[in-house]
Amino acid sequence: MSGPETATDRREGAFEAVHRRRATFEETLSRTAEARGREAGAALPKASLWKDAYYRFIKNKASVVAAIAFLILLGYVLIVPFLAEHHILWKNNDPYAVRFDQAFLSPSWAHPFGTDEFGRDLWVRTALGGRVSFAIGLAATAAIMIVGITYGSISGFSGGKLDNAMMRFLDALYGLPYLPFAIITLAILGTVNFWSMVIALTIASWFTTARVMRGQIITLKQNDYVRAAYAAGARRHRVLFRHLLVNTLGVIIVFVFLELPGVILGEAFLSFIGLGINPPKASWGTLAQDGYQYYQAHPYIIVIPSVMIAWLILSAFFIADGLRDALDPRSREA
Amino acid sequence: MVKFIVRRVFWTIPVLLLVILMTFVMMKMIKGNPFQVTERAVPPSIQANLNRKFHLNQPWWGQYLYYVEGVFKLDLGPSLVQRNQTVNDIVKEHFPVSLELGVLAMLFGVVVGVPLGILAALKQNSFWDYGAMTFANIGFSIPSFLVATLFIYFFALKLGHYTGLPTNGWDTPQSKVLPVIALGIFPLTYMARLVRGSMLETLQQDYIRTARAKGLRNRIVIGKHVLRNSLIPAVTAAGPLLGYIITGSFIIETIFAIPGIGRYYVISVQARDYSVTMGITVLLSVIIIIANLVVDILYGFLDPRTRDERT
Repeated sequence: MSGPETATDRREGAFEAVHRRRATFEETLSRTAEARGREAGAALPKASLWKDAYYRFIKNKASVVAAIAFLILLGYVLIVPFLAEHHILWKNNDPYAVRFDQAFLSPSWAHPFGTDEFGRDLWVRTALGGRVSFAIGLAATAAIMIVGITYGSISGFSGGKLDNAMMRFLDALYGLPYLPFAIITLAILGTVNFWSMVIALTIASWFTTARVMRGQIITLKQNDYVRAAYAAGARRHRVLFRHLLVNTLGVIIVFVFLELPGVILGEAFLSFIGLGINPPKASWGTLAQDGYQYYQAHPYIIVIPSVMIAWLILSAFFIADGLRDALDPRSREA
Repeated sequence: MVKFIVRRVFWTIPVLLLVILMTFVMMKMIKGNPFQVTERAVPPSIQANLNRKFHLNQPWWGQYLYYVEGVFKLDLGPSLVQRNQTVNDIVKEHFPVSLELGVLAMLFGVVVGVPLGILAALKQNSFWDYGAMTFANIGFSIPSFLVATLFIYFFALKLGHYTGLPTNGWDTPQSKVLPVIALGIFPLTYMARLVRGSMLETLQQDYIRTARAKGLRNRIVIGKHVLRNSLIPAVTAAGPLLGYIITGSFIIETIFAIPGIGRYYVISVQARDYSVTMGITVLLSVIIIIANLVVDILYGFLDPRTRDERT
């Protein structure tokens, strides 16, 4: 591209010529690097870490579809009750009003998901239930992350006897069956409400995150830049927060999308065996349990919240899959 | 190898003690007393006698030691609510049902899931692969209560006339078909996905290429090299799957009105029948611990590299 001086160059000022030639040269360089990068599936030279991850995520068709499906579900859960509450759309779809003359209406334009045994509209009610399920799920996932990351990083970072003891304890907890554990926790707390549900689900399922975090920290600890940081005089907490935890961010994000559906399903299971949050509030689990009472005559009532849960699980799963490839390209080779 | 097994077996004892302690402490934290739940007020003297009979007057560590002793003697103590019934009676009555359900569901999952995964991997990106994986993904994500309910609705209610399948119960062979399949769907999809992934990975290994380069027939390469090595990870799936089977059986037993241990567990928690709740929790924990033990030892046999890492 940048050949010997031409007539065009001579006509322009020397400065512009040099500038233009350098620009062309840089373009060539970056273009070849870009092409090389694409071939190897490696990072583009000019992209930041997140931009790079974004490009890799976009390339995974299944994950993109899953992300869109997830956003649609989130939109339904957030927007529909808002519209109904402010009488913008679905003005007559009251999720709480008891009207026996409208009980068990099949899905129609007025009631897209039909009505339940009290004549409550399920289109808005399912969206509200989704809010509860999502809220419990997000709160419990956040708690799981906090507990798991703290436990895992303390264990992995300190190493030695403490690490050994902490891992042995975790091994023992792995022996406890998930659902009975959550049920006992609920019994200890005495009541079933939003927070007791979050606590029970957190206590029953923080182990995996802790274990994975420990593994991550131990692997990262062996990197040269950690030794370099120590050599440069960094304190332990600085190494932990600035060098180790920051680098586990990708894994943490993937785990959020793996834990969220698990927790929401766990909540649904507990609700289904009669340990759900109290009516008239509802989650997808209690809605499914309601529907189960009437499945013989009106099977659609149990199908709707269950499909919502399945939708969430499936989309979150594929998002996690795509994120894993996007945020941690090495995991693909391993 | 012997050293590994001995170490691994001995290691289960502290784990078991810790699990019993955890369960025990949690049970102690539940408020309420089974003898105060009854309508008739119990006089203090009788209350004291009852407490003495069930060792509730001792300090917590005394109760714990007493309980641990019982567990090792395979005596889980009396039920606090059901008169004249010990926890052992209840376990004997309900556990075989759950065990049968769980084992049959697991068998169903493995027998159908593994071949499905192999098929999908051998015909990667074909119609079969996409079909199997679509099925696996849907089965993976649909909650078991929906699967069970829809099974009852279609196969017992609507088509019951042709299929002859009842909607609930566990007394006839026909009544076992739907619960087993409903509970087995998840292990099936889990196995299918796992085996497919593991096979695809094995197929890319150098020793497979070597085997092919030597001119071995495809059937032998697949049968002797690929299958053997790619089925090892499936063994480790037994742990998480067992946990799922236990959780799932709670749901399936509720829906199909099967008199198993899961359904009884929920009842015992609500009735504050501590000894039963604890007994069943400990029993389930022991099963999980033993399963993990067996998996680890089996894995040690199958993959010698893991012997030193896993204790």
